[in-house]
Amino acid sequence: MDPTIVINQRVDVVVVYRHGSEATDAVMPYKMRYQGRDIMFTRLGMRHPTAQGKRMIHVFDVSDGSNDYRLEHDAERLTWTLVAMIPGAA
Amino acid sequence: MWIDLNSAFATAEQQAHPSLRGRPIGVTNRLSKECCVIAASYEAKALGIKVGCRRTEALAKCPEFIMLETDPPKYHHVYKNLCRIMKDYTPNVKMRSIDEGVLDFHGTKYEGDVKALVALGYEIKERVKKEIGEYMTINVGIAPNRFLAKTAAGLHKPDGLDVITHSNLVEVFESLELQDLNGIADGYGSRLRAHNIFTPLQMLAASESVLKRQVFRSVNGTYWYQRLRGFEVDDVRTNLGMVGRQWVVKNPSNDEAYLRSCLHFLAETTAKKLRYRNVEARGVCVWLSFVAGGSFIDKKTFKVPCYTNEIIWERVARLFDNRPKHMAVRTMGLYLYNLEPSNRSQLDLFGDEQRNRYLTDAIDEINDFYGTFTVYAADTLEGTRHLKQKIPFGGTEYFELLLKS
Repeated sequence: MDPTIVINQRVDVVVVYRHGSEATDAVMPYKMRYQGRDIMFTRLGMRHPTAQGKRMIHVFDVSDGSNDYRLEHDAERLTWTLVAMIPGAA
Repeated sequence: MWIDLNSAFATAEQQAHPSLRGRPIGVTNRLSKECCVIAASYEAKALGIKVGCRRTEALAKCPEFIMLETDPPKYHHVYKNLCRIMKDYTPNVKMRSIDEGVLDFHGTKYEGDVKALVALGYEIKERVKKEIGEYMTINVGIAPNRFLAKTAAGLHKPDGLDVITHSNLVEVFESLELQDLNGIADGYGSRLRAHNIFTPLQMLAASESVLKRQVFRSVNGTYWYQRLRGFEVDDVRTNLGMVGRQWVVKNPSNDEAYLRSCLHFLAETTAKKLRYRNVEARGVCVWLSFVAGGSFIDKKTFKVPCYTNEIIWERVARLFDNRPKHMAVRTMGLYLYNLEPSNRSQLDLFGDEQRNRYLTDAIDEINDFYGTFTVYAADTLEGTRHLKQKIPFGGTEYFELLLKS
C-alpha cells in the first residue's frame, strides 16, 4: 500500500553545491549519517521549497540507489531532518 | 499550443522517488480504506486502475499497487516551473488547471508557422525534462484553437506531439469516437445520437442550423460548429460567481456536534477563500446529501454582505439548523454567492463591524505568519482532525492559499 516509513529525526548531512549546474541539481545532499551509518546519495529526485508559517523549508527527495529518502532543510534554523524513507522494490 | 503534463501528480511522485518509477502508483488526497485515486501512473492505468478507482478495487486488480498522499508543495513546484518555461515563449499563457495550459501564439511571429511551432514544442519537452526532472513528460498539441489543440495533445499519450490543421482535420476526426471530443460526455452524446450523429465526422458535416436549432437548441450549437472548424470560441474570461467547499463525510452520521464542527471548518476555509479573492458575499447556501437518499438545500440572501469567519458561520449555522436532524449525512457543502467587490475600507457607523474586521485581520495575519490553523475557532477542533485542504483540480486560483498551510 503506502510504503512510506515516517522517521522525523534530525540527521547530519554533507551537502554539495555545484557551480554552474542546472537549478535542478545545483544543490544536492551528498551523504547522511543516520543511526551511526553513512548513507551516500547517488541521485536527486526533486528539490522543492515549502513553508512552515514564514519559515522556508527546502525538501530534498534523494536516493541511495535502492531506497528513497525525504530530507528537509530548515533554512532559518539550519537543521536537517530525515522525514521519511521509501524502501526500494525487493 | 496545448501543454499537458502526463499523469501530473503521479509522475511528480515518480520523479521525486526513483524507486517508484516503472511501478503502478496512485495519489489520493487522504489515505483511508475507501479513498479514491485522483491521479494514477501510466503503469497503473495499464492495469485498469484509473482516476476515481477506489483503493480496495485498485488493490484487487494489483496487490502491488502503491497509494501515496498528495504533496501540494511538490506539485506547486512543478506547476511553477512549467509556467516559467511556458512564459519564455509567449506572454499569452493561460493555465487551465494545475497540469495543463495554453500558449497563445496569435499575433506573434510564430502565428501560422507550423514548422516553427513544432520545433518549439520539442524544445519545451526537452526543457521540462532538464529543468523539472528527467522523468517528467508532457503532451503537446498544436492547432488553430484551444479545443483542437487539446484534442491534438490527447492523441498520443504519453509524451506525444501532434498537430491538427485543415489538412488533417478529417483524418484525425476519423480516428476518434464522438465522446473522445473534449466537452462531449453522456448528455451531449445522447443528444447528438438522437439526431443521427454518431461520429465526430458526422458532427463536422452537420450544418450550423442543425446543431443550433435541433441538437443543442441554443447558441452552443453555433459554438460547436465553429469550434470543430478551428475558430476560437473558448478564449473567454469568466467572473467569479461563487466560492465554496464540499466534503464527503468521513463517518456518515447525524451527530450534531461532529457535523457542526466539520461544517464550521468548511465555513472558515471558505471565508478565507472569499477574503483571498477580495470579495464579499450576500448569499449563503448550505446543502447536504443523506445516507438514506435524498438531500437538503437551504439558501438565503442577506442585505448586508459578509466576509468575516464569525458572520459567515452565524449565517451558515442558521441554515444548517433547518435540516432534518434525524438523517445521517453523507456529503455536506456550502457556497457563498452574490459576490461583490470588498468594501472593507468603508467605515461602519456604529463600530461593531470594525471590531469584527480587526479580529479577522489579526487572525489572518497570525495564520499567514505561523501557518494555517494556528488560531481557529475552538468549535472546529473536531473538524480539523478529519478534513484537510485538497489539491485544486480545476482552477489554480487558490494554490497559493493552500500552500500557506
